[in-house]
Amino acid sequence: MNLLFERRRIILTVGAIVVAVAIAALAASTTRDAVAISVAIALVIAGVAAITSKGVRATHPVFTRAALTVTVVVASLVGTFYFSPTTNFNLAVGAAMSIVLLGLSFLTGASGQISLGNGAFMGVGALIMAIWANHHATTPIAITLLIAVAGGAVTGLLLGLPATRLRGPYLAGMTLAFAFAFTAIVNSFSSWTGGDAGLQLPNAATPPHWLVSLFTSPTSLFATNTMWLTDITIVVTGVAFFLMANLFSSRMGRAMRLIRDNDVAAELVGVALPRTRVIAFIVSSAYAALGGALWTLINNSVSPPTYSFALSITILSLLVIGGIGTIPGALIGGIIYAYSASVISWITSQTGLNPQGNFASQLNGIIFGGLLILTMIFAPMGIAGAVRRLWIRRHARSSP
Amino acid sequence: MDPFLTSRIMSDVLSGVTNGVIYGLVALSLVLVWRSTRILNFAQGAMPMLATYLGMVIFSSHLGYWASVAISMVAGFAIGGVTERVLVRHLYGKPELNPIVVMVGFLIVLEGVAAAIWSTQPRSFPNPFSTIDWQLGGKPIALSDFSVYKIVTAVIVMTVVAVLFRYTKLGLQLRASALAPEVSRLLGVRVSRMLTLGWVLSMGVGTITTVLVASNFFTGLTPQVMDGVFAFGFIAAAVGGLDSPVGAIISGLCIGVILQFVGDYLNSNAILLVALAILIVSLMIRPNGLFTKSSARRV
Repeated sequence: MNLLFERRRIILTVGAIVVAVAIAALAASTTRDAVAISVAIALVIAGVAAITSKGVRATHPVFTRAALTVTVVVASLVGTFYFSPTTNFNLAVGAAMSIVLLGLSFLTGASGQISLGNGAFMGVGALIMAIWANHHATTPIAITLLIAVAGGAVTGLLLGLPATRLRGPYLAGMTLAFAFAFTAIVNSFSSWTGGDAGLQLPNAATPPHWLVSLFTSPTSLFATNTMWLTDITIVVTGVAFFLMANLFSSRMGRAMRLIRDNDVAAELVGVALPRTRVIAFIVSSAYAALGGALWTLINNSVSPPTYSFALSITILSLLVIGGIGTIPGALIGGIIYAYSASVISWITSQTGLNPQGNFASQLNGIIFGGLLILTMIFAPMGIAGAVRRLWIRRHARSSP
Repeated sequence: MDPFLTSRIMSDVLSGVTNGVIYGLVALSLVLVWRSTRILNFAQGAMPMLATYLGMVIFSSHLGYWASVAISMVAGFAIGGVTERVLVRHLYGKPELNPIVVMVGFLIVLEGVAAAIWSTQPRSFPNPFSTIDWQLGGKPIALSDFSVYKIVTAVIVMTVVAVLFRYTKLGLQLRASALAPEVSRLLGVRVSRMLTLGWVLSMGVGTITTVLVASNFFTGLTPQVMDGVFAFGFIAAAVGGLDSPVGAIISGLCIGVILQFVGDYLNSNAILLVALAILIVSLMIRPNGLFTKSSARRV
């Protein structure tokens, strides 16, 4: 019975791929477009088929996760080819933000700790990226990103050591103090960091020649560059999400969830509490640094005032609204961030507020703060948690 | 005597004490809320900020300084009570994370609302005390009418709180319902009312602090006026121990003086770095604060 279902699924999948390739070949204007689209669609369908297959999901969860990641990444990459530069830029900013959210989600959702300083950790990564690129302009982007991540991890270790002994409010307050101190740190080393003015990257990241020649699009160089940067960000985001999904379900991830639910029980079954907490803190700050480094790459510059306490609060709000401790929650938060500015300007124009007025300029903070309070009181697991609960309820009703 | 009073060290000590009493007051108000409801109130700066706007900005040009201070106090009490009843009440018995997140959200909503109504421009209001330093033999001492006003008010507030908690029946009820709510309820203490009262009291202290900070004619009142003060006040409360009012005040004073020396002998950027270092080092040595007896946590 089960085998029959599997066979029918495979036939359906192959059929769908054939139909999709045929449609792509008919619809696309050039051969290259057709190849790109059909490869993407085939991957998407194959990925979805692999994920939804129960057998694969049970025996090889890593394979399912990889398939899901590749599917989403490829679909987004194909999307960037057609999107406008503005959309691509927003997408890249949101994707980088979702990496930061994922790190904080891991810290908060898996270990019950809270950081109000992840904006500053982003700043650490962003600055290291810019400083390194200014001193060693020839280093490949991937290496520079890794250096920024390592810098974030070291900073996380320094702040995480006292965190091993701290509980909720003390830790939150300590990271808040770090968020405030970040500006002072930047200004103390202004010969390196450029102070409030920040730094420019020495040369913009440009797509390699083989890619440019592959996509001979009629669009401008600017659009191609933005697309390339967005593609880099999406791939990095995919890798970050894949690694985190595995970490969530690893032995370490389970130990952290146990610490969150009952730290005394965790110690009794042999979880090394301090070490696990420090590792959670390091992972979270390394992810934040990666997001910040990507922002530097996307903007081609870094402006330290961006990484203020307000950004840390925005990160917290996005995470809570998306859903703490869930992987889709981080993605939802990133998407909300990418479009929050346009939504708020839409609200301003619809309500006829003066865009330069006091009220309109404060709308962002008021809306995010209000949503933060309401979500925490009425749906503490955020959008992802609420959707999951509805899903479970529906399945519980239909199955018996 | 004269050269000593006007020396650089002495002027740092005096300015440090003037700042330190403010940090001590913020720390004290945090401790009051923490002791009564086990919530670290991240909106502890923003709630009195709104009360100060309501009192001082609206009324001080009509009614004068002292009447407006009184109105601010009433507004502060009201904001404290209403917040506890409407917002904080949902958070008792929830995971540690929930109150932190909600109070941070409340902080940005309040700052946003204040800036939407009154803009982010600093508002100054007349105050009866001069900020010009006293002179001694032609040299300034780092004290003015205004700083003496700050210190004296702070001492009065601290004394009132201490007397209230130690020597009155109400103070006994407040302490009892914080330590053993079930037993207190059985003995006839209205615990829920006491929790509200804890917030009201804390907002009273907070509003006086904010009025003192905002009365400085040169910096005035802004929606973010208490952000930095809150950070130092939190550091003082954490170093002293969130359970210890005495510890909060003492560490507030010490941090004020230390940071004044740092700012004078190093530079202004070093102030926040040293403050962070003090916090990290002291939390590594005594995670529950220097002034609390280390207590076993109930499982």
